[in-house]
Amino acid sequence: MPHSSDLVAEPVPISLVAGRYLLYDIDVVTYLRRTHNICGVLIGGIPQAPQQNVFQGLPLELLPEEAKLLVDQNIGYVVDDAAWHENHYTTLHGKDRQNYLESLRAQGLKASQALNAVARQKQEKALARQAIVRATKSADSEREEIGGASPSKDTDKMTPTEAENPSSRPISPAPSDVSKFSSRAWDASKPLAMTPSTSYNSSSLPRNPNPPPVPIAPASYPLFAHLHARKYFMMPGLRFGCNYNVYPGDPLRFHSHFLATSYGWNEEIAMLDLVGGGRLGTGVKKGFLIGGEDVESEGEGDLVRTFVLEWAGM
Amino acid sequence: MARTLATNELPPVSATQEIIEKSKDSIEKSPHPAYLHHLATQIQHNLQYQHSWSALTVHTHSPLTSVALPRPMISGLPPKRAYIHPDEQVAVIKEEHDTGKKIEQIPEREWVLPTHIKETFTLSSFAKVFNAIGVVPPGESSQDEYDEDDEKPVGHQWQGENRQKRLLLATLDEDSTVTYYIMHDGIVKPRQN
Repeated sequence: MPHSSDLVAEPVPISLVAGRYLLYDIDVVTYLRRTHNICGVLIGGIPQAPQQNVFQGLPLELLPEEAKLLVDQNIGYVVDDAAWHENHYTTLHGKDRQNYLESLRAQGLKASQALNAVARQKQEKALARQAIVRATKSADSEREEIGGASPSKDTDKMTPTEAENPSSRPISPAPSDVSKFSSRAWDASKPLAMTPSTSYNSSSLPRNPNPPPVPIAPASYPLFAHLHARKYFMMPGLRFGCNYNVYPGDPLRFHSHFLATSYGWNEEIAMLDLVGGGRLGTGVKKGFLIGGEDVESEGEGDLVRTFVLEWAGM
Repeated sequence: MARTLATNELPPVSATQEIIEKSKDSIEKSPHPAYLHHLATQIQHNLQYQHSWSALTVHTHSPLTSVALPRPMISGLPPKRAYIHPDEQVAVIKEEHDTGKKIEQIPEREWVLPTHIKETFTLSSFAKVFNAIGVVPPGESSQDEYDEDDEKPVGHQWQGENRQKRLLLATLDEDSTVTYYIMHDGIVKPRQN
């Protein structure tokens, strides 16, 4: 089944807002997670549930490591959001402006039509169900010859669809034809007001004339890239006091395997930290992974060396 | 008079001290400082008497290159398998379920790296240790060698030379408590997840 995220074209724009790397397009978010093992963290509040912070929505904030990796591998590129908007919308006059407004209207119209189609389908289904109910009822009443009681019952009862959606409940007790329904259905010719989550189409955005520098990632970046190249998924490791929680697959499907902490090649590691990390990891059924880039090696490519600690049980 | 003299006498030496005294000659010839040998001795003593390990040997030189190891290391045979890879465990349970016969887990020789809690290590020093040792420590193994033609035992992919290089990180505290951690060279998934 094709997904809308399949239509995402690389490289994708990453918005740089106040030093944070953000994604506003849900298709891009899904695409990066599905294809490139990039999870990020959702940081936006959900309009329907603004008082909780367990489940968050768009935008998605990328770790600097993730942003750097995407830029390095040419999967994404950074757009300075403020500068781009200033530049774009102050020069939006005349025909360009008209075109932009027209595109918004077209989007609104499309959404309105889609809503209308859904509403229509719902009503037709309800009608069909009502027709069946009525047919069986009339057959029953004819057979039992009890008149008068059944019509009043008919008006009292609502079909489940009507109960769910009171606004679509007919004013008259039992409309008999579809034309009455469609008159009350959504006015499909009226566009909805649109507030797009991104101000540009990911494919139509021109490249930055002077792009911001490649994101500066922390010293743990080599370890991050090493694990990412091995198809692991990384999430921020704050809750276990490490750099990354390392998952063998999508974090929605798997428990993490490792608590990963990056060290410099000649950085001193206290034995107590290894014992503490190893014990914490074993306590939560994970391995404690330490690693870093071998700066002394003369080899090429990925020079990261990793060690995994687990309690020996003795 | 004899009683007052008795208070000036030293108490009888401990078992560890006896081992240290006995190995004095070999320590003097060793490339490593004496305190590292004493550390190894104390870990060896703990393995032998608290964890019932056997065939314990202290190595001062790499079995691969014959160059001196970063510090003296111990190899020995635990009373039961010190580490079973999660995939091996799955394979063994499956085989046991299919055949209805219990599969014996034969212990394997392990490397032990003696450390002290007040020390610091670096990734570089761990890498040097791992580079200097082989996958399986040299010496007698209780495991029966199987011939090439024989059917290989279940889990052989995770045993002997096929296993990922590992050691036991033994950390000694001031109060002579020793903790042991399995340390793998490279990424190995955790045993329970």
